[in-house]
Amino acid sequence: MADRGLIGWEYQCYSFPVEHGKVREFAVAVKDDDPVLHDVAAARAAGYADLPAPPTFSAVTAHWAPPGGLDALGLDLRRVLAGEAEWEYLEDIVAGDVLTVRSRVADVVGKTGSRGAMTLVTTEHTFTDQHDRTVLRLRTTVIELGEH
Amino acid sequence: MTQAHTSAPAVPALPPAPVRRVGPLTRTDFVRYAGAGGDFNPMHHDDDFARAAGYPSVFGHGLLTAGILSGYAAAWLGRRNLRRFGVRYVGQVWPGDTLVLAGEPVRATAGADGRTEVEVSLTVHSEADGREPRLVLRGQATATLPGEERTA
Repeated sequence: MADRGLIGWEYQCYSFPVEHGKVREFAVAVKDDDPVLHDVAAARAAGYADLPAPPTFSAVTAHWAPPGGLDALGLDLRRVLAGEAEWEYLEDIVAGDVLTVRSRVADVVGKTGSRGAMTLVTTEHTFTDQHDRTVLRLRTTVIELGEH
Repeated sequence: MTQAHTSAPAVPALPPAPVRRVGPLTRTDFVRYAGAGGDFNPMHHDDDFARAAGYPSVFGHGLLTAGILSGYAAAWLGRRNLRRFGVRYVGQVWPGDTLVLAGEPVRATAGADGRTEVEVSLTVHSEADGREPRLVLRGQATATLPGEERTA
């Protein structure tokens, strides 16, 4: 069960490479057939240095985040639903980049909605590239159904 | 980025996005997304687990629907123009559902250097045989459209 004591809690920082094959695999999975995601020549013709990361590519961090991160929130997966997500794009992210992710719990709110009591946990993620530029910000909210 | 310019005639109108249908989505689509994204929550591939949690079957990752919608928004607004993309998950996508993607401009504002800042709203409805379409996801995006350099 998530509680307000988690606010400000920081996940262990980690880095991951943006891989060519992963960009293509992700694009196929989200059914995006834009050639810039599949063909380096098309990407370069569009002004990218390499295949650009699709807009929600940050999801692949699930492959890289240190184990145990979510466990620290104490969430019960059977009662957790995705709530909201917002991406802010600051710079191009392309295959070959190496991103570092810093995440912290921004808010934990208990409320009662149409599904009864629920807890909303909001996390802020900041992605920096190998040049220390902040390239992406992501804010996600998950909903845990049940008593606060 | 001031509201004062909203009605300026220099701001070109953005036509609504053409509606796009994606699907029907299958369990294989969910599993492919699980592998691509790395989210192996059994809720999305294990029917026994989903039923034990009170659902009729597995359902798609919210991020799968969001990812499909983001590609639609990128194609409409221009991938390089996208500044923000946000989603709110409203309902589940079940195996067999077809997603219906739509987008409407909300606001256009004159930005710097002849660029136009646009804000759009996006929706994903889920339709299946014998069922009314259901709203499953709401989205919004902002984009910076380049000025008409060639005529400047």
